[in-house]
Amino acid sequence: MSGLKAGAPFQHSGRSIAQLMQTLLYALLPGIFASLWFFGFGILINIAIAISFAVFAEAAMLRLRNRDISSHLSDRSVLVTALLFAIAIPPGSPWWLVALGIVFAIVIAKHLYGGLGQNPFNPAMCGYAMLLLAFPLEMTGWHIPNGVINGPLTVDNLGIPTLAAERESLSPLSWIRFKQALLLAFPFAASGATDITEFVDGLAMATPLIEFKMAGKSAILAARESGASLFATGSETAWEIINIGYLLGGLFLLYKKIISWHIPLAIIATVFSLAALFYAPGSVAIYGTPYLHLFGSATMIGAFFIATDPVSAATTSTGKLVYGVIIGVSIYSIRVWGSYLDSIAFAVLFGNFCAPILDQYCRPRIFGHRLRRNSVRSRPNEAPAKP
Amino acid sequence: MSTLKQLASKFFGHDPVFARRTAGGIQPLPFKEHSLRSRIMSTPIPPQLTIPIGTEGSGEITRLVDIGEQVLKYQKLAIMSLSAKGRSGVPVHAPTSGVITSIENSIVADHSQQQQLCINLTVDGHDEALQLEPHTDYSKLSSTDLVSLIRDAGVIGMGGAGFPTADKLSGYGKPAIEFLIINAAECEPYITADEALLRERADSVVLGAEILQRACAAQRCIIAIEDTKPDAIAAIKQSLQNEANYEQRCELVLVPSKYPAGSERQLIQCVTGIEIATGQHPTEQGIVMHNVGTAYAAYEAIVEGKPCISRFTTLCGQALKTPKNFEVLIGTAAHFLFELCGIDAGRKQRSIVGGSLMGVELDSDKAATCKTTNCLIAASANELQAPAAEQACIRCGFCADACPSKLLPQQLFAFSKTLDTTQLLEHGLLDCIECGACDYVCPSQLPLVSTYKESKKFIETRRQSLEYSDYWQQRFQFRQYRVKKEKDQALSRKLDAPVQSMQAAEQPPKAQNDEAGFISKEQASKDIAAAVARVKFRRNEKNK
Repeated sequence: MSGLKAGAPFQHSGRSIAQLMQTLLYALLPGIFASLWFFGFGILINIAIAISFAVFAEAAMLRLRNRDISSHLSDRSVLVTALLFAIAIPPGSPWWLVALGIVFAIVIAKHLYGGLGQNPFNPAMCGYAMLLLAFPLEMTGWHIPNGVINGPLTVDNLGIPTLAAERESLSPLSWIRFKQALLLAFPFAASGATDITEFVDGLAMATPLIEFKMAGKSAILAARESGASLFATGSETAWEIINIGYLLGGLFLLYKKIISWHIPLAIIATVFSLAALFYAPGSVAIYGTPYLHLFGSATMIGAFFIATDPVSAATTSTGKLVYGVIIGVSIYSIRVWGSYLDSIAFAVLFGNFCAPILDQYCRPRIFGHRLRRNSVRSRPNEAPAKP
Repeated sequence: MSTLKQLASKFFGHDPVFARRTAGGIQPLPFKEHSLRSRIMSTPIPPQLTIPIGTEGSGEITRLVDIGEQVLKYQKLAIMSLSAKGRSGVPVHAPTSGVITSIENSIVADHSQQQQLCINLTVDGHDEALQLEPHTDYSKLSSTDLVSLIRDAGVIGMGGAGFPTADKLSGYGKPAIEFLIINAAECEPYITADEALLRERADSVVLGAEILQRACAAQRCIIAIEDTKPDAIAAIKQSLQNEANYEQRCELVLVPSKYPAGSERQLIQCVTGIEIATGQHPTEQGIVMHNVGTAYAAYEAIVEGKPCISRFTTLCGQALKTPKNFEVLIGTAAHFLFELCGIDAGRKQRSIVGGSLMGVELDSDKAATCKTTNCLIAASANELQAPAAEQACIRCGFCADACPSKLLPQQLFAFSKTLDTTQLLEHGLLDCIECGACDYVCPSQLPLVSTYKESKKFIETRRQSLEYSDYWQQRFQFRQYRVKKEKDQALSRKLDAPVQSMQAAEQPPKAQNDEAGFISKEQASKDIAAAVARVKFRRNEKNK
């Protein structure tokens, strides 16, 4: 070659992985704040545990793989994984549960497959699914803040009022609640507590959807159909607000063009239509309203934040739509007919399984290919004729 | 669709022309304002000109002058013709008078990254010129005359491809030309040569468009310009009004400003809605596209009778004190132009020819400008930075959204890493126009386009070597077969035994594989004939 060097283009949009991840973290904030407001400090403790173990595991794996630790850690992808995982885990879970899940996610689901960009499955959801299979009991209780507490609550060595009415007056953000959340996460610290297990059981409760599924369509449906206020402090409405928070974050991501509309829209539309199709008010077969399906559980965070993880999702536009539909159908089916209580993780993992084949078969038509015009056939696999 | 078209043509007299949405594209920062602050200037005549006359090995170069010869301005120096087309070549003219000092290969400021054979002209400063033959009333000339005059004036595509304009105009014997599109969508950042030309000399450009339209007998002429260039748009509108009888046949279309709006096939789709198939030439669809600069050169060639000895080049970059557009004599060295713009040598980090997205870094500022040098950037250290460290692809798909050819750049990148030729071709590597939009948006800072270029080179080399080995394998097999046959014939003659000779004749050894047994005589003669035909065909191909 002559003295000329290659290397165009010389201009760049300035986007980087770190910046994308940063925006993603910001977009999670409204949902996290809502969760904090309604469910107390449990989520923050989850996040703190998950981030510390995730960063540690990531650094260790990078060291083992002989990669530059600081440059890879600074892409912030590990923070996103940790955060998504921490949000999925029920608040009030013990620390070892969170730690085990996130270490599994980072070490096995991410780095053993080749690190960022190579993992075929969403690491956070792999960690979650592993925990769900291994510790079903710990994974299905949701720490309910101010709802009706079923079960005995006689002992009070933690400074919690024994009377339900007094307990309800306590904000989830109070010092006592914080202490209580800490004790839930680190049970060994509460060595003085005499009846901690009972206390924990009493505080654990499912998401409205799970409750709805387990309770046999009674109370919640009634409450919803009688027009319960959106801003009541019950756990159902808490879930509504949290989902709206994630929805806002997702819209922010769409506005910032970090994610494309295909996957969230396909998931939401599919879940909505299936729910609308099978919902028959008053009849025996009640599967829950579309609204309950969209806002009563983790649908929004799943649709906007988890399923859109680019590494493990389909990448072509058509592929993304099909991918979203597959996940939507899976979410609804597992919820309604499956034995698992919530279904985002399994649905997303199932979508991940399908992604490579979707990418193979949902390719866009290349500009100028497969055209039949004026009898001149395109020749896709040949070099264009030199003029 | 056709009924809609008919309805529309009833209302408008013909199909309305409007800009359609095209796939992909990006909106990079344009950096165009600096070089548009001042008017186009002519450069003083440099003391030395290095005039490229073509690349050795591709096409035929006929030299018309010798070393030591005194030449006049506008004198033909050489004729460069593309190979295998059987067309007469395009001449190169002397930009000024002087003496030919040497003819050698040197660096040229264009995208080809190849050295070109150049004529070094030491300028005498008298600027003595040959007499020009203007054709002010070009309406009297036939289209063949126009084409040959344009060819004689050495006009080539000024947009960057550098394809001889006359060849493009005379067509390929394909359907009549319906659309002549004048490409004024100068979408790449930094470059303003076309915009400046339109702002200041729109009248000539419109006349040039009319000349081109006459030359290729196109029914309609469309001037396509980006909607972010109000001054140039106003200038064209004014010129079209001045040319009242031409206005009816020429339409101005504003295309949305995005990169690469000015790419040939993308712009054709944008203004006509016709998608040119891969491997198809636009003329096959009755479309021909010329750059604004080419239209201006055609105007000069006909109306002024002046050969193409200069072009408009943007000089810009932070290292220049006064970035501007120059009318540059072909063969001027880049450093001469940089000095005219007050270069701050300490600030300059590198020089780039072309825009910031498809340009090429110049190794030396001695590189000479040629007919396709549209922009020279003297970049400072903090502009056009080298990309940050490469990160892993996270399959975000931004590249696919940006790709004007609707390719999947990330897949192509993955296949390029493993040199999976089948998949690369399947995924349309050869449809990549190397615009760099994918690189621009990639958050992982992957060097996508340079990887594709490498892959293309790899595929081409492999194809060539396969063809070569195929050819020699056939020669070898044929020889083996011939030797075997001669031996058998000799044997049968020697034995003179009719039975044996019959057997041998009936079962001549198979050419490809001796162990595979015997084949019939008819089959053998067929094989020979086929092999001979193949070899002949290949030889003919090669001779062509």
